[in-house]
Amino acid sequence: MDNVLELRNLSISFTSPEGTINAVRDVTLDVHKGEVLAVVGESGCGKTVMCQSVMKLLPKNSKIDRGEIILDGTDITNYSERNMRKIRGKDVSMIFQDPMTTLNPTIPIGKQITEAILVHNKISREDAKKRAIELLDLIGIDDPVHRFNLQPHFFSGGMRQRCVLAIALASNPKLLFADEPTTALDVTVQAKILDLLLEVRDKLGLSIVFVSHDLGVVSRIADRVAVMYAGKIVEIGTVDEVFYDPRHPYTWGLMSSHPSLVKRGGELKSIPGMPPVLINPPDCDMFAFRNKYAMKADFEQMPPMFKISDTHYAATWLLDSRAPKVECPVSLRKNDDVMEGCL
Amino acid sequence: MSTLSEHGIGGIFQRYPIITRILKNILIFIVTMLILSVVVFVIARLAPGDPLVAFYGDAIETMSDAELDAARHRLGLDGSIALQYVRWFGGILAGDFGLSLQYKIPAMDVISPLIGNTLILGVTAYLVVFAIAVVVAVFCARYEDTWFDRAICKIGTATYFIPSFWLGLVLILIFSINLGWFPSSGAYDFGMQNNLLNRLEHMVLPLIVMIASHVWYYAYMIRNKFTDENRKDYVLLAKAKGLSKNVILWKHSLRNVAPTIVNLMAISIPHVLSGTVIAEAVFNYPGIGNMAVAAAKYHDYNLLMLLVLITGAMVILSSIVAYMINEVIDPRMKDSGGSVWEK
Repeated sequence: MDNVLELRNLSISFTSPEGTINAVRDVTLDVHKGEVLAVVGESGCGKTVMCQSVMKLLPKNSKIDRGEIILDGTDITNYSERNMRKIRGKDVSMIFQDPMTTLNPTIPIGKQITEAILVHNKISREDAKKRAIELLDLIGIDDPVHRFNLQPHFFSGGMRQRCVLAIALASNPKLLFADEPTTALDVTVQAKILDLLLEVRDKLGLSIVFVSHDLGVVSRIADRVAVMYAGKIVEIGTVDEVFYDPRHPYTWGLMSSHPSLVKRGGELKSIPGMPPVLINPPDCDMFAFRNKYAMKADFEQMPPMFKISDTHYAATWLLDSRAPKVECPVSLRKNDDVMEGCL
Repeated sequence: MSTLSEHGIGGIFQRYPIITRILKNILIFIVTMLILSVVVFVIARLAPGDPLVAFYGDAIETMSDAELDAARHRLGLDGSIALQYVRWFGGILAGDFGLSLQYKIPAMDVISPLIGNTLILGVTAYLVVFAIAVVVAVFCARYEDTWFDRAICKIGTATYFIPSFWLGLVLILIFSINLGWFPSSGAYDFGMQNNLLNRLEHMVLPLIVMIASHVWYYAYMIRNKFTDENRKDYVLLAKAKGLSKNVILWKHSLRNVAPTIVNLMAISIPHVLSGTVIAEAVFNYPGIGNMAVAAAKYHDYNLLMLLVLITGAMVILSSIVAYMINEVIDPRMKDSGGSVWEK
C-alpha cells in the first residue's frame, strides 16, 4: 500500500437554518506514505472540514453525502462511532491551531499523554508513564520527568504545541493531520515546530497532512501541495510544480498576495472578493466570479482536473486546448530565494 | 521539629502555605462581618417604625418622660447612633443580641429552637436540589440536542415557573386533604420532635415545593456549562485521542465544570435557604424564615438584625469555603505560586 489515505469523490455537507452548505465537494486525494502534503487555501475553503471528516470529528449536523474515505487500505466511510474510537489516535491523529486551548487546563500534561497511550495500548501505568516521558523527550521538552506533573498553564504556547504533538504521536499513528499548527505561534517558534514535525516524520515515518494558509510555511515543510477553493481541490502537485509553475488562476492569486514569493519590487495583490457561501453552489468553476481570466466556459461547466504532469493537476478551463494562452501573471522568485525569504 | 527551631513561627507559614491562607480567610471573614454589622445596624435604625412603639405598644402614650427615657435606656436607644452601635456590637461579642421587641425575651432565645427546624429543611432541600441538578445536567449534556435533552429542558422550565405557594396549596389539597398521605402543616406532631420519621413526613411536601422551584435553575446552569465545555478545543483533542464520550464527560469536562458547580453551590446557599420562607409560610412550618417575615412585619429590629447576621455569616463562610475548594480543583486559582521552583 503506497497510500495512507485515499479520498474518493468525497462530498460533505452541513445542514444549517439557511440551507445545506456543501463544505467539501467531490474531493479526490491521495496521501502517500511518509510525505508531507500541504493543503492551502483561504479561510472557509473546507480544509479543516476535509481533515476532520476523516477522523469523524465534525459536529452532528454534518453528513458525508458521497464518496469514500480509505484509510490505510480500509474503507472507513461508514464506520460507527465505536469503530472510529479505535482508529482515532491510533492510526490517525490531529493537532490543532491554538495550543492554548487544546490542552485540558486542569489535568497535568503527563496524565493527558498517558491517557492517550492507555486508550490504545494494553500496558501498565508505569510503562505508559515511561513512554510518555520518552515522547516528551522526543518532542524536545527539557526535563520531562519533572514537567510530567505540571498543568498546561506552566507551559508556553510553543511548548504546549509540542505537548499536543506528543499526545498525537502517543500511539504511533500512520497519519497526522496538522490543522494550522503554527498559526497561533510567533515566527521563531513556528520555525522550530516545523523542524520538529519534519524530524518526527523522518523518525517515525508517518505521513502529515499540513493545513495552512501561509504559503511561506508550506514551502518550507511540504513535499506536495493541494490548493483548495470552495470545497474543491483546484490544483495539486509537488511543491516545485505548484510554487514555480502554478496553473490555476486561484493559485496565481495566492502567490501574488504573498510577500516572500513575489520578486523584490514586484506588486503585491490581494484576490478581490471573498470565498463564496457554499449553499446550493452552481455547477461551475466557483472561482470564476473572482477571476479576471474567467471565460464563458468557467461559468457554465465545472472544469475537470487537467493533467499537466504525472504529479501536477489543475482544474481550470485555461488548460483546455481550445482556451487562449494565458501566462502566469506573477513574476515569481527563484526556488532558493523563496526558501530564504520564507521564515 | 528542626524547622521550628530554625525558622520560628515564620517557618510554619513557609512550610504550610495552607495555614497562611486559612488565617487570611479568617481575617477576610472578620472584616466582612464587621462591615455587614455596621450596614445592618444603620439600616435597622433608619428604617421606619419606632422600636419603642414595637416594644411597648400603646403603653408609651401614657408614659411620662422619665419613664420613656428609662425605656429607651433599657432598649439601648439612647445616645448617638455610633454609641448605640458600639453598645450593640459589644453586646454581640458577649453573646447578647438584645431583646426581641415582639417577644420581650433575648432574640437568640426566640430563634434558637427554630434554627434547627429550618436547617433540617433547608439543608435537605439544598443537598437534594444539587444531587438532582448535577445528575440531570450531566445526562442532558451527554444527550445534548436529542429528544431526551429537549424533553427534560421543557419539563424543567415548566416546573421552574410554577409559583411555589400555588404548588404548595395544590400539594396540600391532593396529598393532605384528598389522599391524606402527608400532614399539611408543622414540623412534627406534638411531642414527636425527636422522631425522625415523623419529621420526614412533615418535610415531604415542603421539600417538593422547594426542589421544584430551585432544581431546574441550577440544573440548567450546570447543563449549559457542560455543553459550553464540550465545544472547547480540549474536548476535540480528547476525542481525537480516541476517548469515549463518557470518559470525556466525566474525566475532562467535569473537572472544568466542577469549579462552577462549587461556586454555584456556595452562592446558592442563601437562595435555597430563602426558599424555606415560602415553604415555611405555606406549610406553617416553624422556622426562622417564617420568623423573619413576622419580625419585619412587627418592626422587631433586634430579631431581624440577628437573622440577617446569621444569613450573612453563612453566605460569607460558604463563599470562602468554595474559593478554597476551587483552589484545590483548579490550581490556576492559587494566588501564591512557588510550585514552579519546587523539585
